[in-house]
Amino acid sequence: MSAYICHDFKTPRNDTARRLPNSFRIVPVVFYLALIAGAYFVTMDVINIRGAKAEKLKHDQVKAQHESEKTRFAEEKKNLDIESARATEVAKWIEGTRVIQPLCVRVARSVPTEATLGELILERNEQLPDQFILSFKLVNGQPQHVQAVQTNLEQLNYRSYSPQQSKQGDTWDCRTNLVWQDR
Amino acid sequence: MLLDEIKSVLSFSAFRPDADDANVSWAKRFENRKTLMLNVSRSQTSWRSMTRKGKLDEGGMQDGEFADIAPQRAEEWRSLTDGGWVVVSVNNRFIISLENNLMRGDNCVHLLRTNPRAVLGPKYDRGKRYALCHHPETTASMLLAAEEALVKVTEDVLKTVGLRPGRVCCGLFAMMEYAITSIYDNKQGASPGSFVLVGACEGSVAALAQQDGQWKDLRCRSGLGVEAVETALQIISPLVAKAPPGTPVFFISEGQDQKFRQELMTQLEKVGARDLTQDDLLWKIIGTN
Repeated sequence: MSAYICHDFKTPRNDTARRLPNSFRIVPVVFYLALIAGAYFVTMDVINIRGAKAEKLKHDQVKAQHESEKTRFAEEKKNLDIESARATEVAKWIEGTRVIQPLCVRVARSVPTEATLGELILERNEQLPDQFILSFKLVNGQPQHVQAVQTNLEQLNYRSYSPQQSKQGDTWDCRTNLVWQDR
Repeated sequence: MLLDEIKSVLSFSAFRPDADDANVSWAKRFENRKTLMLNVSRSQTSWRSMTRKGKLDEGGMQDGEFADIAPQRAEEWRSLTDGGWVVVSVNNRFIISLENNLMRGDNCVHLLRTNPRAVLGPKYDRGKRYALCHHPETTASMLLAAEEALVKVTEDVLKTVGLRPGRVCCGLFAMMEYAITSIYDNKQGASPGSFVLVGACEGSVAALAQQDGQWKDLRCRSGLGVEAVETALQIISPLVAKAPPGTPVFFISEGQDQKFRQELMTQLEKVGARDLTQDDLLWKIIGTN
């Protein structure tokens, strides 16, 4: 196209504003870019919201499943705890038990040759397994023999508590509580 | 108002040239918009529309005064243009003369419209509208002086029928400018030393003689009418006769009456005139440039 521009002698208008500089084209360009970006982000957000709702539904189901599992495991744990508590009690009881044989042997050795051991009963306390009720009958014995039995038992860390002695003829009937003393 | 301004910024129309910005070509001002071109002569008006793709479309012609024709054709014309903008070519009540040492410069064209006295000095005449075409290589200029009253009446008539003049020009002067520009653009290195350029547009005639690279003489008569072939020849003949033998003669014309053009060309062919006329040349010149 030729550079020639036709002349013009039209009456000039005085109500026209100056044209905006070309650099101001950035304003509508930015506006439209913002619109496009906004539309893009809104679309992406809507898609993400839909996806998130579906995910939430799925995770809610998983959560409900986990809750039921948790309840089931809690129930199992409760049962196990009860079992464990019972076992602990048993273990404690077993832990508290002391063997009887050394006591029997020590009582038997404490009896002198002129006396006879008529009866020997060792009863373990069910609640406190380290305590015994010792009752024996000493025929032809003396009170010092009964004292010797108690002394020998103290050497095995058993202290005599609330001893009772009675004599019926030639027989000494003795009864005492033996309490374990951990030294 | 504020909403309109925001809309114009967002639609980029605020950055496009105004519809009546004389510093921008018509085609650029009306990209993708229909426009209408009017050629107003003394006793007839012709018109042609241009499509959004810049192709010439419907046209027509009606005899009579422009002030009578415009109200009758207003509706049709309004339908041929987007926004009601029209180019008006006036072919009556003007004179083209040769001047020397007129102001030149980038601002000269704008100044000629707003303060013609600053450009023309004592040659300024109140009541005239001016346009200039400078010789590309010398200080000579063609000066067009059109009757301001005619321009104002034409603009007022258009406004009353709901049309807006985006440009008011002189068809003959535009054709002369275009022909001179073409001759100098096509000189291919060598300056066209001498030539005679004859222009005719709807009964107005102008002839320019250049000798040894200088514009020597210019004769013009507006509003002769298409029947005044003899008068037109009387204006042209002295310039052609004075030119040295072998001087190229160029003829450029536009008009609804082919007879006027043919008779002029017949006479000019005797001196070897070359016809630069193309179809719809006037419409192409004022509707594109």
